[in-house]
Amino acid sequence: MKLKKLEVFSKEELELIHSSSIQLLEDIGIKVDSEKVKKLLINNGAILNKENPDFIKIPEEIITESLKLVPKSFKLFGPDGNFNFEVNLESTIFATIGTPVKIYDPENKKQVRKSLLKDTINQIRIVDSLKNIVCSHVDVWPNDIQYTAIHGHCIYQWAKNTRKPYGLGCYGRVASKDMMVLTSIIVGGEEELKKKPRLVGFFNPTSPLHLPKIMTNGFEIFAKYNQPTIIAPEALAGSSAPVTLSGLLTQTNAEILASIVLSQSFNPGAPVFFGTVSHVMDMLSGNSALGSAETGLITAGIAQLARYYRVPSRGPGAVTDSKCFDIQNGIERYQTLLLAAQAGINYITCAGTYEATLVESLELLVIDDELVEMINRILEGIVIDEDSIGLDIIKKVATSQTPGMTFLSEKHTRKYMKRDLFIPIHKLFDRHRRTTWKKLGGKDILEIAREKVVQMLNSHKGYELSPAIETELLTRIKEIEKRDLNYYMEKEGIKTGKTSLPGLNLDMEKR
Amino acid sequence: MSLEEKMRELIMEWEEEQLKELCRSKLDIGEITAPELLQVIGKIMREIGDMFENEEIFLPELVGSADTVKAVIDEVIDPIIRASGEEKKTLGKVVIGTVEGDVHSIGKDLVASFLFSNGFEIYNLGVEVPAEEFIKKAEEVNADVIGLSSLLTMSMDFQKQVIDILKQKGLREKYKVIVGGAPTTEEWAKEIGADGWADDAIEAVELIKELISK
Repeated sequence: MKLKKLEVFSKEELELIHSSSIQLLEDIGIKVDSEKVKKLLINNGAILNKENPDFIKIPEEIITESLKLVPKSFKLFGPDGNFNFEVNLESTIFATIGTPVKIYDPENKKQVRKSLLKDTINQIRIVDSLKNIVCSHVDVWPNDIQYTAIHGHCIYQWAKNTRKPYGLGCYGRVASKDMMVLTSIIVGGEEELKKKPRLVGFFNPTSPLHLPKIMTNGFEIFAKYNQPTIIAPEALAGSSAPVTLSGLLTQTNAEILASIVLSQSFNPGAPVFFGTVSHVMDMLSGNSALGSAETGLITAGIAQLARYYRVPSRGPGAVTDSKCFDIQNGIERYQTLLLAAQAGINYITCAGTYEATLVESLELLVIDDELVEMINRILEGIVIDEDSIGLDIIKKVATSQTPGMTFLSEKHTRKYMKRDLFIPIHKLFDRHRRTTWKKLGGKDILEIAREKVVQMLNSHKGYELSPAIETELLTRIKEIEKRDLNYYMEKEGIKTGKTSLPGLNLDMEKR
Repeated sequence: MSLEEKMRELIMEWEEEQLKELCRSKLDIGEITAPELLQVIGKIMREIGDMFENEEIFLPELVGSADTVKAVIDEVIDPIIRASGEEKKTLGKVVIGTVEGDVHSIGKDLVASFLFSNGFEIYNLGVEVPAEEFIKKAEEVNADVIGLSSLLTMSMDFQKQVIDILKQKGLREKYKVIVGGAPTTEEWAKEIGADGWADDAIEAVELIKELISK
């Protein structure tokens, strides 16, 4: 049978988390910055918290009604509308994550450098070349591109370099609208985009219990365009959530449920992921510990809650806090990946990253592709039936008169070899004898992965866009480039410095 | 589909009986001679060996193909060649087995299959083979190489015993003796006076080719 899903709650425990989350939403509610969003929620039955008017209370009935509207499965398509995959309550899909701002420098194993547009392109091309990693997410930040136009350039490069879908953060109404307009140009219209979604949105509530304006502005656009959006609080146990994992899960569950209500208020039936990137704070240093064992437990909790609500889930895997390619990197990435997969997370992100997803390595992307292949094998479990057991074949070989007879040349072996044994796709894990290994260059996994990356990049030449689409995209991007940050802030209705806009206080040299 | 293509398909599908039938029928009508058939099989097996070396196919696929071909050569082709009184052309004859006190066969069988697919004539004596048996067979078939396998540190000494007996009988110079198996090393091979040592099947083929060409 297939592997049973890992569970961290009993039925009673799960219901206690659920009822506690509901209590939070009914007693105090969730903090909402946007007046427009407040009105929308109140119109749909939510209640203004009179003692604390920044908060909107959400009664259980509205949550239940919203959950009924959420799709249990949806598809995501590549730019040309051919490549696609379905996310559903049973899927185990693997993708990347849009956070790295630096990239591994293959010239020097322990060094990183600021990532550039050429790295963004290479990363998209590598993902396009892999078997198991099916979506890129503006993974490598193009530090050489004007900050306010990065989304435009990235969508343009996505269309030119992959057949797989793309993910972007819902940072504001203006940028999100740009994303929809540009993608519509690429795919042949808004209706096509709505019918066959191409983009994954990232919507991050701020813990504890806060839906910031810049994010809800963008979330509205993604929901209205029917693009599946990941609702993913990033709470840290002990700092932005209670130190107890049960407390963190209760709080983030409330954040996700409130966000689901909002998504269905924007557009009933809008596809969303029940997500998490929550983890713990390392109490020795005050840093976040993304590669920790607790990440796996929290992720498993979210997977179980998502199944309870019947919403496709998203969680992190292949995450590590390591700064190099050491054993910590290997242990943490595999531990988080395996736990997320065993827990039944439907969409697992973060392939190709290290240093808590701040750094990208194309080599790790290839390694993660192989790890996913292994994990898929593990999830298949052990098939048991009469023919598989092969009683006759055991008797035959055991009683053979030929001394040293083995199962190697039995047809039973050949029949089931490729089903029962893990077949590597990139052959990164060395199993040669030492002499052969030495003769082949005595390479470690990183060196072999590097060679695969070079091969893939050499054979990927990108894709052609029609001249008309190319011209239209470039014209739009030019327009986007003319805007400065103040333009965006004004349009988003963000005038005070209270709400942080990523990049506002960036000192690029220090990154 | 050409004869070669048809044979390749049957070999890779391990269709021993069908392959025998095909070879017999072609020989009967005189479409091909036994030595020519051997050449075609040799070519196919080298291709299969290369595929294994390049990690395009898996070990059971190599071993199963080699077993299929061996049955056809032993039962269909060899009797005809022997009857004609001609000498079969191969890269060389290798007597191979696991030494006394050791029942491990997989590594040795892999070496045998891989040598066979590379065009050597193989006499696989199996496991727990007494020293005298290796020598008797080598003398009988006029072998070029004796290959001694051992997976146990306890049985390694029997590799030395074969070499010692060869020396006593004044036959040491007649054969190239190679040793292998997980606990063995190049140093061990030198210590017991073997001609060579290989760490795996691919190395073994190269080692034997090199020894024979000397």
